[in-house]
Amino acid sequence: MLNESRIKLMTKMAVYEEREGRKSMSIGTYFRGDYIGKEVIKSIIYATVAYLIIIGVYVCYDFQILVQDIYRMDLVQFGIKILKDYLKLVVSYSIVTYIYYAMRYQSARRSLRSYYNNLRRLNSMYRKEEAETK
Amino acid sequence: MAQLLLIREQIKSIYSRYEAFIVPALKFLLALIAMLFINDNVGYAERLSGAAVTVLVSLFCSFLPLNFIVILCAAFILLHLYALSLEAVLVVGAMVFLMFLLYYRFAPKDTVLLLLTPILFAMKIPYVIPLSAGLMGTPASIVSVGCGVVIYYALSYVSSIAPVLAASDSEGIFERIRMLIDAIIQNKELLMVIVAFSATILMVYLIRRLPVDHSWTIAIITGTLMNILIILIGDLKYNTYISIGSLIFGSIVSVLVSIVLKFFVFNVDYGRTERVQFEDDEYYYYVKAVPKNTVAIPNKKVKKIKGQSGDLQRSGSISHTSRRSRSESDVPEYHMRRSATKGSQSEEPPVTSRSKGNKNGTKRIILPEEEVKDMDLAEQSRAIRRVDGSGMTGIERAAAAKARQDREERRRHEQ
Repeated sequence: MLNESRIKLMTKMAVYEEREGRKSMSIGTYFRGDYIGKEVIKSIIYATVAYLIIIGVYVCYDFQILVQDIYRMDLVQFGIKILKDYLKLVVSYSIVTYIYYAMRYQSARRSLRSYYNNLRRLNSMYRKEEAETK
Repeated sequence: MAQLLLIREQIKSIYSRYEAFIVPALKFLLALIAMLFINDNVGYAERLSGAAVTVLVSLFCSFLPLNFIVILCAAFILLHLYALSLEAVLVVGAMVFLMFLLYYRFAPKDTVLLLLTPILFAMKIPYVIPLSAGLMGTPASIVSVGCGVVIYYALSYVSSIAPVLAASDSEGIFERIRMLIDAIIQNKELLMVIVAFSATILMVYLIRRLPVDHSWTIAIITGTLMNILIILIGDLKYNTYISIGSLIFGSIVSVLVSIVLKFFVFNVDYGRTERVQFEDDEYYYYVKAVPKNTVAIPNKKVKKIKGQSGDLQRSGSISHTSRRSRSESDVPEYHMRRSATKGSQSEEPPVTSRSKGNKNGTKRIILPEEEVKDMDLAEQSRAIRRVDGSGMTGIERAAAAKARQDREERRRHEQ
């Protein structure tokens, strides 16, 4: 038998599955710490690549001065400065990533919870129908 | 206003019905405009700037997500710049790559602003961007708009010094890179525009969220004034020689565009028609879920029949109609809903036959205009009343029945 309210609920769930449900479900397969940790590691890699690009552009920009001063400058100090800047970028970018993905995980869990509630409602509808037919 | 609301509802219904065609068409248009802008500003690779390639790529973009369009446009820009000089590719490429790497993994939906900002700059209405980003986006849009502004100024600068970059002087590579970076970093106008746009976005966003009446309109006006003010202060401080005429004109156009945008976006849900498939143990379901329209749209045309006789125009039914439409005009949605009914009423066939039956068994006597002209008002009123087969109205029928009953009772008493 076709049950109108059941079809409405199933349609709503199918729409969710097709849209934001996809991402939420993939997020829902992780524990919170694992998910945020994965994204932070990704961010560290991205920040490293970005910093290398910035260093490359800086070298091109100051190439002549660097070539002239390479023997006169304190390379250890220069290296420490570069490392400090790198750490600043990575740490600040990782903090932003942590906050952003923690919020995202929370909202995904919330939407998945309502989806699972709908699943439970659907299940109870089926049971009721079965009981009625028997 | 009611007419405008009606148009909006019609657009909504058309969008939800033909969304599958409208979205690709809009994407095609956006991609085409972006490609034309690229060709116009940095179209150095002749093979890529041909009409056939432009149209084909735009067609291809109409089936891609918006983010891919942005990436494709970035790739085209870099290919064009490669035809000009390697230094330009290195500088602009590094900029674009940093943007994608650091920001767009957080806000992939904002990429469209990156595309629209340079396009609107080229169309001389860049002030639309901070207003619309503040109205529809979040403060995070500041980053996207800022990146778009940087891209526009970088491309403008590259195109302005194209002959210098095209000169094949292998020894001057680093000087040219330095020159390009300096032009971007030390460009005061660029800095000023970024500050003005950021402040405007923030201001518009904060005001439009306030729980006051007309918050969107107030946000648009305040944002525009603030934008003009910051740019003027920046112009005085850094001597950027911005044309005040174009600033004022561009701002006025931006306000108008934002008001139109507000009308079509504020409190409107362009709900889409959903087509989903699922199954259970017994059936396969192919469901098409169509969003409900909140305002009834009259599909029928309202036909006004003008009476030739002045006396006929004074009849009760006509004056009642006009009174009703006056009282409803203050509530546009209600007016529209009722106007559908009125439309269907007034679509009755024109007055041609002598009498016409209805479901109550009564008849409306409809006289030709020549006969009506010669009657006085009382006769006309009687002529247009509803009468049954015996030529009596409802009240007359009731009175006759009552008289008949009285007569019978009297007869019974006499017996």
